[in-house]
Amino acid sequence: MLRRPSLILACLMCIPAMVCMAQESNPLASDPKAAETGRWMFRIYCAPCHGIHADGGRGPDLTRGIYNAGDRDIDLFRAISRGVPGTEMAAYSGRVEDDGIWRLVSYIKSVARPENSSLHGDAAAGQKIFWDKGGCGACHRVGDRGSSLGPDLTRVGRLRSVAYLRTSILNPDADVTPGYATVTVVTRDGKTISGVEKNYDNFSAQLMDLSGRYYSFLREDVTSMKREPRSLMPSTYEQLLSGSEIDDLLTYLISLRGAQ
Amino acid sequence: MKSLALVFLFAALGAAQSDPGLWTSYGKNSFGWRYSELDQINAENVARLSPQWMFQTNLPGKNETTPLVFGGMLYFTGPSNSAWALDALTGRQIWSYRSAPPARLDLCCGPVNRGFAVKDNKLFKVDLQGTLLALDAQSGAVLWKATLDDYQKGYSATAAPLIVKNLVVTGMAGAEFGTRGFIDAYDVDTGKRVWRFYTVAAEGEPGGESWVGDSWKRGGGSTWVTGTYDPDLNLVFWGTGNPGPDLNGETRRGDNLYTCSLVALDADTGKLKWHFQFTPHDLHDWDAISDPIPVDLDLNGKKVKAIMQANRNGFFYALDRTTGKMLHAKAYTKVTWADGIAADGRPNLVSGQEPSEEGTRACPGIGGGHNWQATAYSPQTGLYYFSSSDRCMLFYNTTQEFIEGQWYQASTAGRPEPGGGRILGLDPKTGNTVWQFEMVSTPTAGLLATAGGLVFSGDAEGYLIAFDARSGKPLWRFQTGGTVLAPPISYALNGRQYIAVAAGQTMLTFALPK
Repeated sequence: MLRRPSLILACLMCIPAMVCMAQESNPLASDPKAAETGRWMFRIYCAPCHGIHADGGRGPDLTRGIYNAGDRDIDLFRAISRGVPGTEMAAYSGRVEDDGIWRLVSYIKSVARPENSSLHGDAAAGQKIFWDKGGCGACHRVGDRGSSLGPDLTRVGRLRSVAYLRTSILNPDADVTPGYATVTVVTRDGKTISGVEKNYDNFSAQLMDLSGRYYSFLREDVTSMKREPRSLMPSTYEQLLSGSEIDDLLTYLISLRGAQ
Repeated sequence: MKSLALVFLFAALGAAQSDPGLWTSYGKNSFGWRYSELDQINAENVARLSPQWMFQTNLPGKNETTPLVFGGMLYFTGPSNSAWALDALTGRQIWSYRSAPPARLDLCCGPVNRGFAVKDNKLFKVDLQGTLLALDAQSGAVLWKATLDDYQKGYSATAAPLIVKNLVVTGMAGAEFGTRGFIDAYDVDTGKRVWRFYTVAAEGEPGGESWVGDSWKRGGGSTWVTGTYDPDLNLVFWGTGNPGPDLNGETRRGDNLYTCSLVALDADTGKLKWHFQFTPHDLHDWDAISDPIPVDLDLNGKKVKAIMQANRNGFFYALDRTTGKMLHAKAYTKVTWADGIAADGRPNLVSGQEPSEEGTRACPGIGGGHNWQATAYSPQTGLYYFSSSDRCMLFYNTTQEFIEGQWYQASTAGRPEPGGGRILGLDPKTGNTVWQFEMVSTPTAGLLATAGGLVFSGDAEGYLIAFDARSGKPLWRFQTGGTVLAPPISYALNGRQYIAVAAGQTMLTFALPK
């Protein structure tokens, strides 16, 4: 009952500055209970996208200690409060009080486990593998270079953990990014065409094969069409690359944080 | 072109009806069958169905509305407290209604609205902040307003009201915010409340023993989808939603009456005649709000006044609508939480299906089985049509302190597993699925059945689809350009049958070429 009047009062007190904004640092940083309250709030509001342990899913992994929207407490607060434009991250200021958002920030910070300590690869060598031996750029984009057949990796170092990326390289089918499933169509003349899903609905499919050729089919015009939750990415990198080369590649990928 | 022939089944239907060419209530007739007696568009000619007009609302948000058509106008509500009156022939706007929702409004599922009710040239709708309005159908002017309850405590409203004699009956939303659910009836002329039925029994009332302590005060039981009415029995039937907090039952041990139930209320007084609880002590958010559809069934050579529901918990139920006793129940999708329904209506529970700290996989998922999307029954085929999502899900619970007006779910569900759903044609006499149409995504739209032997629905990818009502074979489709969340309707104007549906931010109509 009191939350709205108190919010209004808080805003009125800010009028001289003509801005009603949160403080820069977490006022609950020294409250040991804040993270625990934030944990159950996280399970309710955040876990459907960020995973029950904050280690990612549809949304980014939040245990990495670095974040898509910035690494300061206030960056996290703003991302939760206002949402992140251009992403599915919605604004929660209408559903969670400032105090609650700071508790979420406390929890997210508490589960950060900065990594790379066990990763001793060479990012420059990994970059070379990415573009040459690994052939990753044939499907993935980094900045303005590469192909858009697979997910854009420009900021992947902010979004995914080393463990997730290692699994993705060695077992690409483990977690296929939504929108990148494999669609296979068998035409009436017996040809089988597989590609990355562009659209797949009850009556048609649009796909792009590994050469970048685009196809569109109506279900009634083909013998069969199916969508499978598997990746077209080769599952042979464990054979193609040595252990140290994979570490180099991972070190490069985890360094990709885009522009702030 | 075949002339417009109307199939009059009124005498056999037993439900309060309107002119076959009009659509004047949420479910078409008071039984909510969503069956149009128009047959100009039929299985033989539906392939020629063509768009007639489109109206852009230019307003973001989900459109879940059922349009009403009478007096040459098409009336529909939109998201964020909006509504329009359009010329039904051309789609040209006659008037519009907008009212800004409060800046801070607690809604579980978006600023949606599901439609108008109409009586004596007055339109009735709810606004999101729990307000019931009467509008003048000619001008859109607000005639009266009534407040259901305090939106700052988490109460809201999204359902289309139901006209019962001189009453406008409406439900509420907000079970995810620690509210106490109810069904209200207001005088159509004055807006004065005539009765209220609380869907959560208080301490000391019958059913109050099914709650612990004062947990009933925030017990949920929303009533966010329109009910039905049997004029012969003078009963209003309405489904109720989940108990709160949704997935953690520790603070609300007991059956939690009358949540996840169908209640039959005396239409004049709101007194409870009977109730049937589908999911006692629900822990999976399986609201029982799906359309409760009265229908007379021939069972063992005897005509039974039944009422049926495709419940979100994965079972199809047929009940005796005079007593609330179960006639039969059968799973229509994959169900892991119960291995059947006993003769007394209680589920045979499977252990280990409760939500947990680390997650418990259960089927169906948190959205059901069948959710709120409008269903249809065709007296021509005797089949009941509804959609089903066929995905399982991980259910997590947690502890949560109750704070008035704030989200109170104590739980969450994991990522949906890959998979889609189906549109089903089901025989209500047996619960057997007669046909099914597999969908690649979770079904989103409601249904319409017509005397032309057709069933219409839409999908998440924007197709409006016509099916053969007997076989389920898709006969026609149109890409509308926006997700179809709303149910289609049908009306007749100047000798032509129209199909109308909201898709994306657009209202579209279709008819056969002249």
